This record gives sequence, C-alpha cells and structure tokens, in this order.
Amino acid sequence: MLKITDLHVSINGTEILKGLTLEIKAGEVHAIMGPNGAGKSTLASVLAGKEDYEVTSGTITFEGQDLLEMSIEERAREGVFLAFQYPVEIPGVSNVNFLKTAINEIREHKGLPALSAKDFLTLVKEKSALVALDASLASRAVNEGFSGGEKKRNEIFQMAMLEPKLAVLDETDSGLDIDALRIVAGGVNALKSKENATLVITHYQRLLDYIIPDFVHVLYDGKIVKTGGKELALELEEKGYDWIKTAE
Amino acid sequence: MSGTLIDFCKQLEPTQLNLPAALLQAAKDGVEFQHHFPTTRDEAWKYTRLGRVAALKLSPVKINQSAAPLPSSDSIDIIFENGTWYCAEPPAGLHIDFSSDLDSTAWNACTIQGHVQHINALTAQGGVAIRIDANTKLIKPIRIIHRLQGEHTGLILHHQLVLGNHASAQLEVFFEGTSEDSYANVLFDFFIGPGADLHTDMVQHTKGTHYGFHTQRIYQQKDSTFALQTLTANTHFTRNEIEVFSQEEGTHTQLYGAFIGRETNHIDNHTYVHHMAPNCTSDENYKGVLSDKATGVFNGKVKVYQDAQKINAYQSNKNILLSDQATINAKPELEIYADDVKCSHGSTTGQLDQQALFFLRARGISEAKATDMLIKGFMAEIVGAVKSSHIQEALHTLLD
Repeated sequence: MLKITDLHVSINGTEILKGLTLEIKAGEVHAIMGPNGAGKSTLASVLAGKEDYEVTSGTITFEGQDLLEMSIEERAREGVFLAFQYPVEIPGVSNVNFLKTAINEIREHKGLPALSAKDFLTLVKEKSALVALDASLASRAVNEGFSGGEKKRNEIFQMAMLEPKLAVLDETDSGLDIDALRIVAGGVNALKSKENATLVITHYQRLLDYIIPDFVHVLYDGKIVKTGGKELALELEEKGYDWIKTAE
Repeated sequence: MSGTLIDFCKQLEPTQLNLPAALLQAAKDGVEFQHHFPTTRDEAWKYTRLGRVAALKLSPVKINQSAAPLPSSDSIDIIFENGTWYCAEPPAGLHIDFSSDLDSTAWNACTIQGHVQHINALTAQGGVAIRIDANTKLIKPIRIIHRLQGEHTGLILHHQLVLGNHASAQLEVFFEGTSEDSYANVLFDFFIGPGADLHTDMVQHTKGTHYGFHTQRIYQQKDSTFALQTLTANTHFTRNEIEVFSQEEGTHTQLYGAFIGRETNHIDNHTYVHHMAPNCTSDENYKGVLSDKATGVFNGKVKVYQDAQKINAYQSNKNILLSDQATINAKPELEIYADDVKCSHGSTTGQLDQQALFFLRARGISEAKATDMLIKGFMAEIVGAVKSSHIQEALHTLLD
C-alpha cells in the first residue's frame, strides 16, 4: 500500500530524514518509535503533504501512485489520514459542518453522490459512540474549548468518519491519561481491517499495549536503524534509546 | 443640471426637514462643506481620500412617493428605488411618514459633526420618519431598502426613528443596486426611549463605482438597548460613521461590524461611543477580510465622560489580509475621564491561519473551500449576531 524508498527530507536547509525506507501492506499495523528529533513527526507531515518540508530525494508511492505529486487534499481523498499531534482549533467552523464538507469532497472524488443529511447524522451518531465523544462536541466549533483528550478523540472520530486506507497516528498518545488512551486505542482497533493499514508514531511503548503492532521500527537520526516485532518495543522501553545508539 | 458634488449640493433646495435653526446654522458654519473637502491632513479622513468624490458629476434623483402600496410580506417594507419610495401599510403602534413630519423636539438633542453630516443637514432631499408608540412590541421587522441605479445619480436622505418608552423593534436596512459614479449620503437618527430595545441589521452591498456615506446617530435614554450589525460586502467605496450617545444610566450598546473588500474596494468604519452616564455597557466587535488591493479603515473611539462611573466598555477589531497589497488602517481609541470603569480595546491584523488551512486540506477539503470555511468561521460571531435569518442566508452567499 505504502512504499517509501530512500527518502531524504529537509526543512530550512537542515536535513531531517536521511534515507528512510519503509513498506506497509494492507492489513498491517506498523509502529515507529524513536527519540526526540529523530524525524518521526517530519515523516508524518511529509506523508500528509505539509508544504514546509522539502523532499530532496527518494520516492513515496501509495497504492501504486506517486504520493509526492499529489496535493494535500488529493492525498486525503485517496485515503491517507493524519491524526494530528496538536489538533488545530478552528473557531466558528462547526465540527459537523466541517466533516460533512470533507466527506462529500471525498465522495465526489470517488464518484459517489453526496451523503444525505439523515445518513450523515446516523454516521455521526455511530462513529462518535466509538470514541465516546459527546454528541454536543460534534456540533461545537472544531476543537474549540476541547480538552487535550477530547481533541485526540475527535481526531479518531474524524478518522472513523472518513474511513481512510492508511491512518498515520502522530503521537496520538501524548497528553492522554490512561482512560482516554484506552478509548482512543479502542477506536483505532475497531476500525482495523484487512483493507486498511495503520502507522503509529510514538515515543513510548505504552500505546502499543493497546494497539498491537505487527512491526516496530526504530527511527534514529533520520533513518530506520532497527526493525522487529512487538517485542522490540518492550526492549526499547527497558533499555532506552541509548541502547540503539551504542549498538549502531 | 449637473456638476460636481459641491455644485450638486448648492443646486439642491435647502432641506425641507424642520431642523432646529441652531442645527442648520451649525451645518452652514461647517467649514468642511463651505470651503473645502477634508483632506488626509484632517484626522477623521487620514486614510480616506475624497478627491474622486469631490469631482463626481452628479444629478439628484427626484424624490416622490409611489401611490401603490407594497403588498404585505414577512416584514414591513419601505423601499427607495432611486428617489421613488414605496411603503407597506404599518400595523398599529407604528407610524411611517415622509420626513416633513420628523419629530423636531427629539432633534434638539442632536449635534452635527463633520463633513458627511454637514452635507446631509443642509441638503437632505427627504427621508422617512418612523415612530413606534410606547410599549409597542413590533413582531415583524421593519425593512428599509435603498436601491440606487444609473450613472451620476445622487441621493441624500435623512431618516429618523423614534422608539417610545419600553417599545421594541427590529430593523433591517439594505443598500444595494448597481450604479456608476453615484453618490449616496444617508443618515439615520435613532432615538431610543427609556427601556426601549432596537435591533438593527444593516447590509451594504452596492455594485458599481458607487460612493456610499452612511451615518447613524444613536441617542439612548435610560435602560435602553441598541444593537447594530453593519455588514459591508465588496462595495467600491463606503464610509460608515456611527455615533452613540449613551445619555442616561443603564444603557447597553452593541456595535458589530463585518467588512469584506476585494479589488480596489475602500471600506471605512468610524465609530464613536459617548458614555455620558454611569452604569452602562458597550460591546464593539469589528472584523474585516481584505483581498487584492482593497483597503480598510477601522477607527473606533470610546469616550467615558467625567462622573460616568461603572462603565463596562469592550472594543475589539480583528482583520485578515489575504494579499500582500491589501491594507488595513486600524485605530482603536479610548478617552476616559472617570476613574471607576472597565474598558478594553484591541486590534489585530494577520493572515489566514496556515495550520488550520493545512488541517482542513488534510481532511480532503480543497484549498478554495477551506479558505472559504475559515473566512466564514472568522466572521461567524458577527454573522451570528444578525437576527434576520433572511440576511444570514444572504450573507453566506455574499461570503462565497
């Protein structure tokens, strides 16, 4: 589904990713772990198409298409979803209105008719229950006045509504208490299928107790330096990242 | 007959409005009109040039009342098609007359300040006088539509609305039509009686090279409430002057404004709130979005008079510039002579929130639609204050 080959990315002339290679197949859950500054969030931003980053070399294909050639919205319409580390507050734009626009733009892209108001509301009800998001939050302005946990649950709610092929969760566990973490992870697990894939970017092993990865990659200094199964996460938790640094 | 604006003003009959003699004299003495147009050296006109306006070749439209009454609708309509005006049958408690019946006693409280008001005082061709009896609660809104058409047309009107004790009403005012090199100077005097409540939504959406000057003077008596939403969308040239006189205790004033300019539009909002009595509140919130080479002006002044204690005055102005060549000149002003008041003011100008734009696009929404959503979101608190659902719908179309 996603194939990243020898990716080099710079921001303001500083190289962050230095030859990253990664392949994700449908049905798989991958985790990327790594110390601060390793380039984890850069990878997430580049996948979503954030324009501040410059891809200097390498390729990314998504479902056989050149992802780097696509605009931000095209990527989303093709099925790439980024759950933001810091969800943005948008005063005056209602959560429901924004999601309705997003869903219908995606449906139009796929050649499907717009969702009726009734079907849309049914979907909102069903999907907000999945992450225990209060229905009143759905009608409020996007993330405005939401708590940290509510913002993250709102991200997963959007993911549930948009049903992406590839979900990239950027530090979704940061700032979550254990209950919120369980709810968020439960939502992600419920959405898992053979047709879609998940890339979990995280600092700590904690989230991986709830979202069980098929592969764990260690990102260090812009490259994946180690790949293993879920036990690698436990090893990292125990030994810290210095272990990787010295092992290199 | 036609000539420049000054010639135009001179050729008009002296106003037929029964203004108090002292006021007329004050207007005549107004040097701005008599000798020169204000220039950018005058503080009140620092960012708005009147050269083009002074040079306009104008012919006044003919004022007359249409015999045919308007059919009844969901509002009480008064329509000016150029100078011809149409009026619906008013319900009990509401009186709509042509301006010769203006209430001159109310006018004794008025002052006339500045160029726009001087021209209006001397040469107003007419206007409507609206009186709402004490304790009358109007159910339907009053809707006044000004539709100026043609080339080089000029229209100067002076309206008056007197709201009796504990009366309440909702007013909608529209400025529309397509005209070229035209001029309008429309002044409203609002007298809000004790305990009365007036909510006004004003939409300015003229097309063509129209020069619109709009004045609202509001005189508030004890415990009265006045709310005004001024919405200006893509007008060639607009100057708004709003002056509120909170004359007695317990008044509440709300002034909201939203302005959108594109191409070379020029939109100027001047507001002046006089807190002359204690225990009053005012809430002012103006938002602007300018693109292309549009320019905007926000000059909001709040003056708290000596002994006007326990005033709570809030003022905010926020602007978004969508292009490098768009300009906003913002000047919030506070003048306080009392010592026990709460006043705040602030003004910010920035660009569209790039993080928010990225977020919306990352959910599959096109850049154009995302920009549109963010602008609507930015304007939402102003648009939300509009009572008329009819105007709210119109605004959503205007914002697209």
